[in-house]
Amino acid sequence: MKLVAVVKRDCPTCSLIEPVLEQLDADSGVSLEVVTQDDPSFPSGVRTVQHDHDLSYSYHHDIETVPTLLRVDDGVEQSRIVGWKRDEWETFTGIGDLGPGLPDWRPGCGSLSVDPSLVDELRARFEGHRLKARRVELADLEDDIEAMFDRGWSDGLPVVPPTETRVLRMLQGTTRAPDEIVAVVPPDLVECTVEKVAINAVLAGCAPEYLPVVLAAVEAACTDEFNMHGVLATTMPVGPVMIVNGPIRQKIGMNAGVNVLGQGNRANSTIGRALQLTIRNVGGGRPGGVDRATQGNPGKLSFCFPEDEEGSPFEPLHVARGYTADQSTVTLFPGEGPRGLVDQLSRDPESLARSFAACLRTVQHPKLPMVFDAILIIGPEHGRVFKEAGWTREQLTERLHELTLLDGSEIIRGAGGITEGVPEAFKDVQLPKFRPDGLLLVHAGGGAGLFSTIIGGWANGETGSQPTTREIRS
Amino acid sequence: MSRVVLDPTSELTPAHRERLARPASLSGLKVGLLDISKARGNVFLDQLEELLTARNATVTRFAKPTFTKPAPIDLRHEIATTCDVVIEALAD
Amino acid sequence: MFIASSEFVVAAATQAKALGFDDVARVFVPHPIQDRTDDEMRALADAAVDDIIAAVTS
Repeated sequence: MKLVAVVKRDCPTCSLIEPVLEQLDADSGVSLEVVTQDDPSFPSGVRTVQHDHDLSYSYHHDIETVPTLLRVDDGVEQSRIVGWKRDEWETFTGIGDLGPGLPDWRPGCGSLSVDPSLVDELRARFEGHRLKARRVELADLEDDIEAMFDRGWSDGLPVVPPTETRVLRMLQGTTRAPDEIVAVVPPDLVECTVEKVAINAVLAGCAPEYLPVVLAAVEAACTDEFNMHGVLATTMPVGPVMIVNGPIRQKIGMNAGVNVLGQGNRANSTIGRALQLTIRNVGGGRPGGVDRATQGNPGKLSFCFPEDEEGSPFEPLHVARGYTADQSTVTLFPGEGPRGLVDQLSRDPESLARSFAACLRTVQHPKLPMVFDAILIIGPEHGRVFKEAGWTREQLTERLHELTLLDGSEIIRGAGGITEGVPEAFKDVQLPKFRPDGLLLVHAGGGAGLFSTIIGGWANGETGSQPTTREIRS
Repeated sequence: MSRVVLDPTSELTPAHRERLARPASLSGLKVGLLDISKARGNVFLDQLEELLTARNATVTRFAKPTFTKPAPIDLRHEIATTCDVVIEALAD
Repeated sequence: MFIASSEFVVAAATQAKALGFDDVARVFVPHPIQDRTDDEMRALADAAVDDIIAAVTS
């Protein structure tokens, strides 16, 4: 059994207890080893001093304070104390009368291995081996941003070069191991690790605390349910739209208010982008390749927003989908670009519901029923109408379904002089615009403006995609 | 000082490089002659330089520090950005 | 494109494929090289130049 003392010269407490270390070293019943972080000649009066020149000992033993005194048995730490407190040291070492003349106690100083200016370097030095991705060396004359474009890693906008330091820092955002498999990503059906998602999150410009949201989104996207391959391969304009719920929204500073669907908020913008970059870079799904969208939509760069739960007239979307309010979730929807909806005169819920319904029936085409889902983002001024009338989410949803029943005679092929439509056989029946679970109501937006937004989907059901929710785990 | 980044892709294949379209002729083009620095190669390349210059190419000579290792990244980058065509010789 | 002596035919093919570049242009000149005189080297260049140009142009 031996004692190991970790010290540095540049610490008044360590200098103060130099005589204590000498006392312990001189005692024949004690086997003492001192590990010095900065100056190998400190302390001078002790026989066995190791210079922790690369801070590997301190790093791997999680030394946060100097002095730290460890009891080590057969190479395994049994216990430790930090700082200087005479009675604590005497109990710990079993040696009495330590440091006569010294003050009874003194707090320690910060260990060099947790010095903020060294942390990134140490992490890269000691944890770089945990990263399994292929290393790519850039030429000295290569501009690092151009190099990202040249290698095909970009979605058309500049990306952040994923250095080891940046990726290791990103991985601090999750407790999951870097080599844990998150999902099998289409179309190339590649097993995607936490590390690969982290690299793409760095490319996207995410902060480490966003990583759990990106991981949940990648999981959700690669399910049979969501059918990312279908979303990629379709000629329709859809891409994965992410709705975030729960406490994580505030924790990472997402924006659910003014311009919620637009630019300007780092979390909103980079999280959506990281999902698409992962699909593109890991899965191999790119425009012109598997991605055959005729026109696409700008949301395919990034489309992620949080629900404004606090101001909502209804319970949050994820609660309606079976989660508890304190869980954080991401819901993926296969959506096109957003479409505006104006109603500045309706003061009662029935009138406003009819406005909504009139616009909702035109999702993709007014004469096509049942096949497309939709998100209705209710703006706060519209939300207030339902709040004041006491309507629940179920009530509004049910009313919208009723109001979007389509008359066969209006939607059969040829009706209205339009060839598109349903077969003649449906002439005398009513068909629902949306399947029973096909309408997602969400509350978000700025406090001024009597506007809401519709996001249409593509094919639902077996051949298409279902909205898919996953819990966000740290 | 070398900068290293981590590959964000699936790494399923070695990075396949598409062959660039070939020019119709060398006339007026910048041709790099890269000597891998094995003995006698320079004589071969001197002659080639004369022949290609006579056919109206602008020839620049480069050399690897040693034939035993791949060309340094910066040499490759310089050649890639300044030449239209590269001819490397002479491996024996 | 690269020029190598005839001894390198198989090695070159293997290496090119491993680097993901298996259609790289190549021209081979007769082996050996090391013991040739300057005049012989120049003659090899004269003999190879048309093939070399053909390998890099369309």
